[in-house]
Amino acid sequence: MTLLLCVLTFLVIYPMAMLLLGALTNTNPVVHGFGVLDLSLDNFVAVLANENVHAALFNSLIACTGGTALAVVIGLTFSWIVVRTNTPWKGFIAAVSMIPLFVPPLVAAVAWSILGSPKTGLINTIFRWAGLDWRIDLYSMSGLIVVFGMYYAPYVYMFTASALRNMDPSLEEASEIAGASAFRTLFTVTFPLIAPAIISGMLLSFVVMLGIYGIPAVLGAPANISVLTTYIFKLTAWNPPLYNTAAAVAIILMVVTAGLVVLQQRVLSGRSYATVAGKAFRPRSLDLGAWRWLTLGLAFVYLFVVVVLPTLALIVAAFRKFLFIRDAASLFDMKQYSMVHFDSVFDNPLTVRSIINTMEVGIVTALLGGVLAFAIGYTINRTRVAGRGSIDVLSTLPVAIPGLVIGVAYLWAWIGLPGGLYGTIWILALAFVARFMPDTVKALSTSFLQIHKELEEAAWICGKSLLGTIRTIVLPLASPGVIAAMTLLFVLAIRELGSSLFLYTSDTMVMAVLLLDYYEGGNTGKTAAFSLVQTVLLAVLIGIANWLSRDSAGSVGRTG
Amino acid sequence: MSAALDVVDLHKSFATGRPAVDGVSFTVPAGEIVVLLGPSGCGKTTTLRCVAGLEHPTAGSISIGDRVVSAPGQGILVAPRHREIGMVFQSYAVWPHMTVRQNVVYPLKQRRTTRADADRKVAETLELVGLSEYADRSVVQLSGGQMQRVALARSLVYRPQLLLLDEPLSNLDAKLRLRLRDDLRRILKQTGMTALYVTHDQAEAVVLADRIGVMRDGKLLQMAPPADVYNRPADLFVANFTGASNLIEGRVAGRDGEFGVVEVKGGARVQAWLARSIAVGETVCVAVRPENVAIGTSNGSNAFTARIVGRRYQGTQTAYDIDLFGVRLEALELGTAARHEVGAEAPVSLSRDACWAYRDDKTATQE
Repeated sequence: MTLLLCVLTFLVIYPMAMLLLGALTNTNPVVHGFGVLDLSLDNFVAVLANENVHAALFNSLIACTGGTALAVVIGLTFSWIVVRTNTPWKGFIAAVSMIPLFVPPLVAAVAWSILGSPKTGLINTIFRWAGLDWRIDLYSMSGLIVVFGMYYAPYVYMFTASALRNMDPSLEEASEIAGASAFRTLFTVTFPLIAPAIISGMLLSFVVMLGIYGIPAVLGAPANISVLTTYIFKLTAWNPPLYNTAAAVAIILMVVTAGLVVLQQRVLSGRSYATVAGKAFRPRSLDLGAWRWLTLGLAFVYLFVVVVLPTLALIVAAFRKFLFIRDAASLFDMKQYSMVHFDSVFDNPLTVRSIINTMEVGIVTALLGGVLAFAIGYTINRTRVAGRGSIDVLSTLPVAIPGLVIGVAYLWAWIGLPGGLYGTIWILALAFVARFMPDTVKALSTSFLQIHKELEEAAWICGKSLLGTIRTIVLPLASPGVIAAMTLLFVLAIRELGSSLFLYTSDTMVMAVLLLDYYEGGNTGKTAAFSLVQTVLLAVLIGIANWLSRDSAGSVGRTG
Repeated sequence: MSAALDVVDLHKSFATGRPAVDGVSFTVPAGEIVVLLGPSGCGKTTTLRCVAGLEHPTAGSISIGDRVVSAPGQGILVAPRHREIGMVFQSYAVWPHMTVRQNVVYPLKQRRTTRADADRKVAETLELVGLSEYADRSVVQLSGGQMQRVALARSLVYRPQLLLLDEPLSNLDAKLRLRLRDDLRRILKQTGMTALYVTHDQAEAVVLADRIGVMRDGKLLQMAPPADVYNRPADLFVANFTGASNLIEGRVAGRDGEFGVVEVKGGARVQAWLARSIAVGETVCVAVRPENVAIGTSNGSNAFTARIVGRRYQGTQTAYDIDLFGVRLEALELGTAARHEVGAEAPVSLSRDACWAYRDDKTATQE
């Protein structure tokens, strides 16, 4: 119990305190150590007066607002199509609507930069070849908004689809009987009723976009559009690095994020209109007639734009010797294709090391995080010890902290301590454990709730000790959930970029960072090749994870 | 204003399973309340939803007033909102994001009613359902019974041609159900509304209906005034479903007009009303309501002696298990005193009007 609190303090509170301390001083921990402490609000004053910060904040807000608006349109449309219409292949559409969640943002951004860069972008090449006068430029604010909107629509989809599914269909039928058209019903009854879900999904996707580094780094940098995340990184990349200023900006980002997360939780816990009766409803599906082919078409377009097109772009760029494409014939000219980029990627010793490092970090994170989350989940859900409330709060706190901010915080926490964690893979793993703790604990809590308390009590009555009961009763019953949570943690850890950026050294290079390096090095072929390597790896791992959790779902069914 | 409803040979099949509605025809004259009664899955709700236009019939036709609203054969299908009907749902379906007034005025907004006119109609209707003081409350603050009154007001405010009610009382607790049931009939009669009402509760059906239609397996078995359904059920299922739980098996020994003699296994003879198609010599089942087993009296043609084998005192009545020529029957005795002891013999008489013989159809009593 006390141990848990100590671990959490070590993982969450200490780095955040150091971050705050860093923001309040002008001391460079690397140069000066912590001997001289000169607390002041100067950094905040300077940061808040700085025009670059204003611009970055403004850009962040524009990009996230625009992206959120687009995400709402896409997410709401698809949830309505899937839950409320008779469009064919709804299972397929539901799957398509969730796919972007599995695409690493950095890879998506790289693919779209290959497709949509103003001069050499594949789309523009095709337009030119087709004699069309259209040009697109994704190295722009609108490009950022479009890519944000497309890839973060699933957050809105998840919330609204389940709200629609839980809504009593007679609420809509009553409106139709009362004389309202289907369209009017949608806007006066359906959408107002699921408004909490819409707002909640909106806020969540906004928060995620706000904290993302990969997409604005790839698409915003060429056009000199910096957002808060890229600006923070820029500060630490300068010579000498402005760690104090970075800490101050990171705190601003965190405050905005935390405010939005609190708002989202409040909306979620507020009265939910949709589930008034709390019973299962016969799903009501609107007969779209011939229009249902249009809605199915929309799903195909989305799949094509979000997955197929970027994948094709990566494949073309990765296997072509030169990306310059004169005409369509050249696109299919096999002589232009080779493995040369893959060879050069794997010639680089860093590549293999980054893959090994990433796997190591992933495994360490999954094991540490899994054990810790199990202990936390058990304490919160199953015991009545004093202080479990604060454990609950501490373990959900990182929800409100963007990955990048965690990275800066851990940097602050460990960089000044000689012989400490900085420069090892452990600092990455610990940062990831802290960052993904809320997701892991939440995933595990559901499996704890499924195990009836009496099963444990029966073991106590039989004379087992608390730990013995956990080992012989709780752990075996919860193991499917534990395995699922650990796999989730593993996948999240190996694709994490934001916090890695500040914590890696050349010895502890991870895949996501190296990919960004390749991109910034300007070699599109190598970048695309490495993106493909990463995507395939991730796809395989997610496949395994799915297979594992399907297996565990089955065994939960047996025990429950 | 109120219009007649005419349903002709309605069929509705879903993708799987037997048809939900299988050749149902009936008419509801303007101003009449018809209740469709039956166990769950009998097709009553599907029939109602076809009338509403929320389900599309497979075959047959539905007309409201002079207008055909559903006739798949001729390709006619009028959208629910163009049918000028009102509907009250089992789950109330009041919109929780609106106040009582906003809920009730909603249908008027679709109909270009002037502001003053709408205000007057809303006030009148709220008065009618007894919610005048609640107009500006949010509906989530109301009790279930009040929510259902809001739903009723919302479907009456524009005086539709036809009101559909889909088990409107079954989500309410028992006491409230009784009150709203009586209010409902008063309000419907006061407004002269044509109403089609669906329920599985026979007590509700009897009180509310001008006529009851009993359904089973997608078919309409009997459509008649409540007293007829209770005193002359059309078949064994209707008899059983409406409470005639005692069954005596036997063989028809003679017939004289509507009535006849049924010979029971041990040789006893029971005078009974015979369903029309039954001939002498057929095996039949005689259905008797427990209330119609007169215990302690020995007048009339069917007078026997029975042995009391069980007694359950229920306060205002007593239920007895009696053994009558080897058949176990249930009998009800009204009153707060239980007059017969277990193990004693007692005279029992069955009025021949209350004994109904049907062709022995085993499947009828399984539900």
